Amino acid sequence: MYNRAFLFNGIGSKPEKLVEKLPPELRNKYDFYRREAFSRLGLPMDMNELSRHQAQAAEWLLPFICDRVVFEYYIEQGITPDIGIGYSSGIVIASACLGSIRHEDTQRIIMAHCSMLQKVEESGEKLDMGVIIGFSYDELKELFKDKFSPDELIIGSGNSSFHVMVCGKSEAVARAVDYCTEEGAIKAFVMKTGTAFHYPVMKDLDTESIEVCKSLEYKDPVCPLMSVFDIAPLETAEQVRRENIINVYTPMRWDLALKKLEELGVKEFIDTSANGAIKKFSRVSRKCKIYTFEDILSGNYKPHTHSAKKTKPDNAALTYTNSQNSNGGYYYERNYR
Amino acid sequence: MREITDEIRQEIKDMIFDYYAEECEVDKSEITMESNPTEDLGSDSLMFVELIEMTADKYDLDIKLQSIGKYMLKTPMDTMADVVDMFCKIYQYGNDVVDQ
Repeated sequence: MYNRAFLFNGIGSKPEKLVEKLPPELRNKYDFYRREAFSRLGLPMDMNELSRHQAQAAEWLLPFICDRVVFEYYIEQGITPDIGIGYSSGIVIASACLGSIRHEDTQRIIMAHCSMLQKVEESGEKLDMGVIIGFSYDELKELFKDKFSPDELIIGSGNSSFHVMVCGKSEAVARAVDYCTEEGAIKAFVMKTGTAFHYPVMKDLDTESIEVCKSLEYKDPVCPLMSVFDIAPLETAEQVRRENIINVYTPMRWDLALKKLEELGVKEFIDTSANGAIKKFSRVSRKCKIYTFEDILSGNYKPHTHSAKKTKPDNAALTYTNSQNSNGGYYYERNYR
Repeated sequence: MREITDEIRQEIKDMIFDYYAEECEVDKSEITMESNPTEDLGSDSLMFVELIEMTADKYDLDIKLQSIGKYMLKTPMDTMADVVDMFCKIYQYGNDVVDQ
């Protein structure tokens, strides 16, 4: 059984909103990782010098760096996961933080989306995503029945009893938003993403990032990763590979995955986003709690006795080594001993 | 319909002001009945849902979010006075708030 789950948000929040939540020493670390990533990818540090699609991909990359900094801070505080779970692109950063892929690999995956943005534009396909607040997955499914075909709109994720993400053709997403507003949504809006992650059509559009996900070298994660597609813990390199490959074109059930974690014994959910973004749209039962970065910084979280499920041989225990590299920045190595 | 007293009305107002002060990280004394929850305090719809859940728990209300959403279509939450008034109506009428 598991006690503590780490929740990874990935993209979704504006980078500046995340970075402002970092204390100075973590901000320095974030700046270091950002310089390192941009240098590796050959990107100028000034966002104004990036092409439109590069700027979009870079904006997706920055929350990953922020999540990494927060994750490493937790580890440094002795707060380690028994299991992890990623929301959408959060799967990618979760895979890296849990040691299945390298952080450089996450940057390759994200930048590969540039060609997808180009391809969507050239195809004339107008895609979008939307958020509906005030309906559950089942309520929305019933509401959309006979109103939308799966070719034009799908529910991309049931997030909680009141929060759902939809995706598909722009016109259908806009129509769904209007319809839900009339039917009593607390708020419904289009995200104007120009793409539609988790929409099956993406399988033919985001081919470059899918190929990158296929080609990477994966290792078994240091602790399991909960699948938001199959709603089961993933423990092997191959399982994590599949999760990353199908991510961009497969609808997910965040709500069910969190419920499954509770069934598996998780009581403490730790949000790795700097601004508590995951806690806002996620819900767990009363016997559990979602702790944010702010809770941990302010000392409102006291780790309970930790008894992680052993997923490796008895002589293997998860340790994180804090090392300093030649540039003065910190990195972490995950070891079994 | 549930009766609402002046004390309950005041309690609801205090609860809402305390909540926005904490969530929006503003001093409670800076919040007035004329404050716009979004523009002046920086609140968002997810905070609003959390406030609804908190109120439902506190007063043992069985309320559907869609009832509130439909009410808000007719009566936008432009000021804190609108928010307090709506929560008082939720206390009184529950899901029938949409007909008020």
